[in-house]
Amino acid sequence: MIEEVLEVLVFPGALFIIVISLFYEWVDRKLYARLQNRVGPHLAGPFGILQPFADLIKLLSKENIVPAPADRFTFTFAPIIASAATLFVCMFLPVTGLKGILSFEGDLIVVIAILSLYSIVVYLAGEGSRSRFASIGAARGALQLLGYEIPLTLTLLSLAVSARSLSIAGIVKAQVERGLWFIADQHIIGFIIFLIAAQAEMERIPFDIPEAEQEIVAGWEVEYTGTRLALFRLSEDFELFFLSGLGAALFLGGPAGPVIPGLEPLLYTVYFLIKTTFILFLFTIIRAVFARLRIDQMISFSWKWLMPFAVILIILTEVLA
Amino acid sequence: MKAPGYFIAEALRNLFKKRATILYPYREVDKIHVPEGFRGRIEFNREKCIGCQLCSRVCPAKAIEVVQDEKGKRPVFLIYRCIYCGQCAEVCPAKAITLSKFFENIALRKEDLVVR
Amino acid sequence: MSFEVNIGPQHPIHVEPIMLDLKVEGELIVDVDVDVSYLHRGIEKGFEVRTYLQGLYLAERICGICNCAHTLCYCLNVEQLLGKDVPPRAKYLRLIVEELSRMHSHLLWLGHYFHTLGFETLFMYFWRDRERVMDMLELITGNRVTTAYNTIGGVRRDITSEIEAKLRKALDYLEERMKYYEKVIDNEPTILARTQDVGILKPSEAISLGAVGPHLRASGVKHDVRLDDPYSGHDEVPFNIVTYDSCDCYARVKVRLGEVVESINMIRYALDHLPSGEYRLKIPPFFKAPEGESLARVEAPRGELVHYSISNGGTSPYRYKVRTPTLANILSVVYMLKSRDGHEVYIADVPPILGGIDPCICCTARVTIVNGVNEARKILSLNELSRLYRERRR
Repeated sequence: MIEEVLEVLVFPGALFIIVISLFYEWVDRKLYARLQNRVGPHLAGPFGILQPFADLIKLLSKENIVPAPADRFTFTFAPIIASAATLFVCMFLPVTGLKGILSFEGDLIVVIAILSLYSIVVYLAGEGSRSRFASIGAARGALQLLGYEIPLTLTLLSLAVSARSLSIAGIVKAQVERGLWFIADQHIIGFIIFLIAAQAEMERIPFDIPEAEQEIVAGWEVEYTGTRLALFRLSEDFELFFLSGLGAALFLGGPAGPVIPGLEPLLYTVYFLIKTTFILFLFTIIRAVFARLRIDQMISFSWKWLMPFAVILIILTEVLA
Repeated sequence: MKAPGYFIAEALRNLFKKRATILYPYREVDKIHVPEGFRGRIEFNREKCIGCQLCSRVCPAKAIEVVQDEKGKRPVFLIYRCIYCGQCAEVCPAKAITLSKFFENIALRKEDLVVR
Repeated sequence: MSFEVNIGPQHPIHVEPIMLDLKVEGELIVDVDVDVSYLHRGIEKGFEVRTYLQGLYLAERICGICNCAHTLCYCLNVEQLLGKDVPPRAKYLRLIVEELSRMHSHLLWLGHYFHTLGFETLFMYFWRDRERVMDMLELITGNRVTTAYNTIGGVRRDITSEIEAKLRKALDYLEERMKYYEKVIDNEPTILARTQDVGILKPSEAISLGAVGPHLRASGVKHDVRLDDPYSGHDEVPFNIVTYDSCDCYARVKVRLGEVVESINMIRYALDHLPSGEYRLKIPPFFKAPEGESLARVEAPRGELVHYSISNGGTSPYRYKVRTPTLANILSVVYMLKSRDGHEVYIADVPPILGGIDPCICCTARVTIVNGVNEARKILSLNELSRLYRERRR
């Protein structure tokens, strides 16, 4: 009983997820800076590792302002739901073993639903602020959901068909039993669709249209300050960790790898983190080499290119299964 | 439609190159290279000054005041108003004013930014 | 259902305050109103109370990036008043520094433009290469940005052979980089998607709205002050005028990239053919200009810059007027931002379009309000001015 509580709260639960997400934000920023010939964070802690912690603490110490016309309830609840949802969904990842803390049959559908919930929360946050820029950002965020959601769902479902299971742990087990990671067969198409759709989900360049800093000044986040903004930033970091981990678990075999019996949890964690870091590298490189798209171009791109490939993928999977 | 990601090769190559940033001022202060002829802070040689007051009249920013001391009139340079144009050095007939290479002209007291 | 979004006066894409009042329906822009008066500093009055030599340094600070163009235009203006002509070596040296400063301005603009498009990596790369240009400017003139190189009667310093050697090396490096950037811009589909067919301005519309500079040349009109009115050795140094025919933001990027390459070639030619002799005429620091008026035009990095002055025989000008290129280009921004039938403009197009004219708002705001009906000039106190402003904005 105590063991399970500690598992959920400390490792590999909430505390571990918070720490590793902030670490991954540092990895992302440092790599992004090195791709641009710059230094990146270098003052807070050795090599600037503590910079995301410092940013979090700084945000928590700022003044909490609620704009006068805003709807107090939505304004306060949106960041809480966003960070809680993304923290919750991280617990389905198989970090220390072939199953996550909360894994159950069907958790892939729950994951997809909560990722959509995040986008709806973004819309609520923007509209609840009752500000012009926030409304534009919220509308763009909801519109962006229409673009990437269906190809992403089709990709994940095609993996479920190949693995004959609707849980992330089941897909990992299927890769272990096959002896071959899912990226090595027709699911490579799905991997590319997943990379693009995940960038759109996390609202990073080239799809950071809802919070385009240069056009609508932080979009739906524009009225948030202090603790609420800290929670939104944390939720973005959780999402980064979650989607990288999801990519590693679904396509690269998750924590699977050569094991020494007795040291299994440690080795599984190490393998999982290495693969997650690799997927994170791919996300950062995509972020660095493209310009931002316009919202109509993004929607037409995803319906002209992502959708057909997702449909081809699922047909291929059905045929080959 | 052209294939995206033309830029990836260059970006990845830069990952392994040395960074272009100079970590000034906390480390690497000596890597700042200031060339000869840089127009920095004013340096004044009292011995050479002949008291013609041309520098004070020509300064565009009114940064030179003239005071009387035991040897005659001489200028006082207010660095907090100086725009580093170098006009005073050009116009001085006795070549008593030079512009050094020092560029960190910040101080906590106004007195530190006056050259007498 | 339309509502109003104002881009400005403080906004991440604005380097200086300018107000763009947009009426939008969803993402489509329906109507635009512009206000450029936020940066009025009283510079034209400042010229009237300073001597001609002191006014040179005020002219330099009208704009940080086009400072070389402003000092050059001022010097040409005053030399015209005095009736003097600078020696040939000074003309070539002025050309070299002017072209270096044009390269600096275009590299800065390219970096900033891609930053507004969201492509931060290219922004950092352009600004890293711009550092080389600023190092060269520092070697030649003594300062990276406010160069203070032109003076009435010539230039203030000479170029030695070591400086020339370093300059040539930097030019070789920059030429290689420009070729690479041209390939990136031509081959990257996200950049093409954001800049092609955005901000269309036909040549006839551009001329009737009074556009100048690279903005005009990107609509295919071959107009350049250096060709029409050569002012500093431009009749001896050969160069091409870079135009492009597609009249959109992509054309503006290509024109400015091409101008950087042209500047490199011009500097190389000028260094090879530098005439010997003195580089400065002896002009005393305090002089009384003869009575008369004079006008000088210069091709600043952003377009045609005009300085006009009237002298009544004193040590300061009686009246000095500056017409900057951005003031001429703002009207075309207002025209380009409205959606016309067949051509829709979205909010996401505001950064490419506004950035495409290379706005330098600190050059722009220099207007006074004269009551045209009864020719009375009203001077408003600060309280009256703020009351009027609040009433209008309500």
